[in-house]
Amino acid sequence: MAHTEPQTAQAAAGYQPRIVAFVCNWCTYAGADLAGTSRMLYPPNVRIVKLPCTGRIDPLFILKAFEGGADAVLVSGCHPGDCHYTSGNYHARRRWAIFRRLLDLTGIDERRLFFSWVSAAEGAKFADLIRSVTAKVAAIGSFEPANPARRRPWK
Amino acid sequence: MEMIATLRADAAKLLSEGRAKLVIGYQARGMHRAPLFVSDPAKVDRLVYDEACKQNLAVYLRKPEVRVKGPAAIVAPPAVMRSLMVLASETQLAEATVLAVDTNAYHGVLDLAGVAALLKEKYADLAPPKELFDELAKLNAMSPEERARFWTGQFAKCTRCYACRAACPGCYCLRCIVEKNVPQWVSTAAAQHGNYEWHVIRAFHQAGRCTLCGACEAACPQGIPLMLLNLTISEEIAKRFGEKAGYDPAAKPVVGSWKPGDDEEFIR
Amino acid sequence: MKTLDANKLSDLAAALAAAGYRVVAPLKDGAEVRMKEWAPGAAIDIGPVPVNSIKEFLFPRTEVVAKFSLEGNDFKPEPFETPAPKTAILAVRPCDASAMAALDKVFNWEYKDDPWNARRAATTLVSLVCTAADEDCFCTSVGGAPDATAGADAILRPADGGKKLILESLGAKGEALVAAAGAVVAEGRAKADSPAQVPVRFDAKAVAEWCAGNFESPLWREVSLGCLGCGACAYCCPTCHCFDIQDEATRTESVRLRNWDTCGLGLFTLHASGHNPRPDQASRWRQRVMHKFSYFVEKFGILACTGCGRCGRICPGGMAIAQVCKEIDEARKAVAK
Repeated sequence: MAHTEPQTAQAAAGYQPRIVAFVCNWCTYAGADLAGTSRMLYPPNVRIVKLPCTGRIDPLFILKAFEGGADAVLVSGCHPGDCHYTSGNYHARRRWAIFRRLLDLTGIDERRLFFSWVSAAEGAKFADLIRSVTAKVAAIGSFEPANPARRRPWK
Repeated sequence: MEMIATLRADAAKLLSEGRAKLVIGYQARGMHRAPLFVSDPAKVDRLVYDEACKQNLAVYLRKPEVRVKGPAAIVAPPAVMRSLMVLASETQLAEATVLAVDTNAYHGVLDLAGVAALLKEKYADLAPPKELFDELAKLNAMSPEERARFWTGQFAKCTRCYACRAACPGCYCLRCIVEKNVPQWVSTAAAQHGNYEWHVIRAFHQAGRCTLCGACEAACPQGIPLMLLNLTISEEIAKRFGEKAGYDPAAKPVVGSWKPGDDEEFIR
Repeated sequence: MKTLDANKLSDLAAALAAAGYRVVAPLKDGAEVRMKEWAPGAAIDIGPVPVNSIKEFLFPRTEVVAKFSLEGNDFKPEPFETPAPKTAILAVRPCDASAMAALDKVFNWEYKDDPWNARRAATTLVSLVCTAADEDCFCTSVGGAPDATAGADAILRPADGGKKLILESLGAKGEALVAAAGAVVAEGRAKADSPAQVPVRFDAKAVAEWCAGNFESPLWREVSLGCLGCGACAYCCPTCHCFDIQDEATRTESVRLRNWDTCGLGLFTLHASGHNPRPDQASRWRQRVMHKFSYFVEKFGILACTGCGRCGRICPGGMAIAQVCKEIDEARKAVAK
């Protein structure tokens, strides 16, 4: 099974991964805030979209991010048991497990889709997560323009 | 031949006794099989059933012009019976009069409870044909790039006719996500990313509810292998949550419920 | 007369491609046959009626009609021209070729549709006489025939028991195509096979007359019970032409698209107020039949149905328009008795 070779030429040419992160307001967003106020350094490649809860994340959001050319999507929320709305993240967990498989089948594989639990106290975990995701996505190269999920220029 | 005669006799009896105002079944028109809507007991001899009957008739139980005719009885092979279970579990169907049939046997007139019992007793191991599993295995053995190319080719055929949606008993939203235009979430152009999003979202909206009846793929005028999407999701759900749609009329929706121990190995 | 072996259509396609044509032909596609863009190696099959019509090669499922660029507060139209490559469509069924008349009328009615006209001018249609018909064909019920030449620039006639094809030019575009075919077609003699027998299935004129006087008839609901409101029939139909205009934009550019649309969908006539003048499938089916058999005749003098039978072949709900017309015809006769 061949995976894409690291696109070193791309990296040399200054390819910067564009990562969209859908995060919940109460945990991961607060955790990201904590990383910032603590002046923890992490790569600037992630664009954060804040939602009240991971339970609000419609799979369509993930698709739209890839449509627009995101090289990877990260979805992150409260640890199980900590959800501000009690069970939103439990619903999200089931949804992600199934959606992930469906995307993998149709050509958006697990190298570009990441899920995590990051609490409001885990500023360090957030920074570490972004560093690790960015490095992985830099290694695998940009999202193929020919992927069926991507918007293509109209002719 | 005898079983179809009994089915027709039962249908006629339901109509003449007023237990149903309409019988929804299949008819033959040359090589085609089409739905049949019979309200006259004298016309039940047009009812047929064979393996060429691919439509899932459960879709008609939600059609306003059919409902307005009064209580309907429905000719139901196992795939349709399972759809009735899903609809019942989603409070879309309170009761039903079912003429339960498959290619080898006719099981008589049943209500929803009777259908649930029959499915458990005789059809617990229903599965799509082996060829479909083989096709899926071939697809899963490809690299992600090869799979992307495969689906690019398949989705390029899609004209966005929505026959798949129309043929599916599980697709009953009054306003579908593709028809939401404030904002227009999914491009309505029959081209790449819009087609991709449509098929992925539609398959996902059937997660845990799809009974793998195959009506969508049969309805597709372009021959897109939709069952590969449905089977992938169905297998993942069976593996992770041990659920199989369409047997329990009181089942909780799979994607709408959760257990504390649901696997999260893929979550960092 | 010019003839070629019936199994040498790929050579004809290759010769035309070499002469600069984009070639479209009926190609094997799994168990079916579809009109598709030909490439060397593709298997041409003129046996079954293709699942799709040729409409999409002249009126695409989705096409750009205008482009704009956005810069700050500036909104600038960009020059855009419809791509209209020189195209040859081979083995077009007479029912698909005769559909050109209806589409030419609609797209040149009060407004000249440049994208349609550009592609139409660039396309040469080579018809194929049908020597076999199936139970869904009904060209003879709507004024057509399996050997009709309407809309075609050239015609292929199966001959000598299907072993040969006679290529006959019907005009200037046809002459150019025959010339481009070069040595693939040779002077020769062959006896044209008989066209298919297609029985008349209903009286189209009587159906139109009945429609005119029965707008509110409950029969519309009865005949349309099987319809689930998808667009499969409209999209495979060679004459259906409704479209939707959609603007799609990013932060820097915008395109105006013309996408196929269908009156079968519930929301087709939904007003912004929430009112829907065709609120049920019965009224939408009435529209479908009357547009093709009544309104189009009033406006343009011709039917907007060519009897190709595709709707009957692909509809999961059994809603062949021929079947509906038959039921109307039968109901009309029952009342007349």
